[in-house]
Amino acid sequence: MKKCKFEDQIDSYLLNKLEGEDKDIFEEHYFNCPSCFKKMEERDDLVTAIKSRGAWIFKEEPAPVRKALVPSFERVYSYFTPRQWATVAISAAVLLVAVFAILPQFRGRAPQFYLGENEVVRGESLSLISPIIDVKTAPSFFEWRQLGQDVEYKIFIYNEKLLWTATTKETRIAVPEDIKLKMVPGYKYSWQVRAFSPKGALIAVSSRVQFEIKGTE
Amino acid sequence: MKSVQLQASELNLDEVVEKYRTVVSFKVKKSLGTQTPDWEDVVNEVMTQVIEKVKKGEFRGESSIGTFIYTITSRRIVDFIRQKTKVLKGIPEPAVLPDPCDDAEKRERARVLAEAIKGLKPKFKEVLDLYYYQELSRDEVAQRLGISPRRVSERLNYAQKLLRKVIKQ
Repeated sequence: MKKCKFEDQIDSYLLNKLEGEDKDIFEEHYFNCPSCFKKMEERDDLVTAIKSRGAWIFKEEPAPVRKALVPSFERVYSYFTPRQWATVAISAAVLLVAVFAILPQFRGRAPQFYLGENEVVRGESLSLISPIIDVKTAPSFFEWRQLGQDVEYKIFIYNEKLLWTATTKETRIAVPEDIKLKMVPGYKYSWQVRAFSPKGALIAVSSRVQFEIKGTE
Repeated sequence: MKSVQLQASELNLDEVVEKYRTVVSFKVKKSLGTQTPDWEDVVNEVMTQVIEKVKKGEFRGESSIGTFIYTITSRRIVDFIRQKTKVLKGIPEPAVLPDPCDDAEKRERARVLAEAIKGLKPKFKEVLDLYYYQELSRDEVAQRLGISPRRVSERLNYAQKLLRKVIKQ
């Protein structure tokens, strides 16, 4: 459909920008052109709405994201003065250094609790190495992990009652032949090691490990 | 463009009155402002004059009926303004705030449209704001937004198309 040449003047007329003869000609035109008049009526509704409610329609609204984040940041920031914030930051840094750098160094020496057979003993971790699973023949050696220098270890081997005990400063010990002969296939045995400081203080107790001598088939 | 070109003998006055009352009302309201309480009287007077003049044979078909009615309307408006000026001479003007949406129906249409405009995308709202609310020219809007004047027209047209859709729903 061909566009009427007067259509472009609708906005100017409604916004009172058309004056004098141009205005008269345009007005006479819309008295004769139903199409332009219809378009002008519709445009007039738009102009009226914008002119009467423009302040509300085009009111600046902050973006939702900024609205949500900025005030909360400002609120948190306003809790302290900049100097107090600096103190908080330094304290946090010291705390982080303490937690991640200094404390782990004491970790090995920190008192820990280990559950013995019938007791709870405070001390360091003492791990047993061998034997910790079932064996075919009576083991010749018992071995555990070293705990420190000049530590004395006391080993206990049990069947139903204490079978043998001995003391050493090594981390392994050979079982005497007469004790070995007492450890027979088909029975379960258990063993445990206790560690003592050079001054004789108990510093660690291992867990009690059970094994069975299965025997050779 | 479809012009109304009728000969005097072909005129059906009832149809003419019905058809042109809206156009005359628009022109009168635009010239006098809707805050003028007499605008409806002026429209009635114009329509009465049209009927009388046609009956007296004053419309001879030399111009279109639209132009004939437009001339009567313009003259009546000028007379009305002169008359009011005489009456009000020496009397302080009452402080009447212009209300562009005086009648309830138009006010409701404006409300619905305003809601619809508010819901448009920012790129359409900003064009409507600058062009219709702040009354910048098409070129000024283009310059402000860094787009071509043609793009401004496209956005204005598209915004109106979208609004038409929303209003129809």
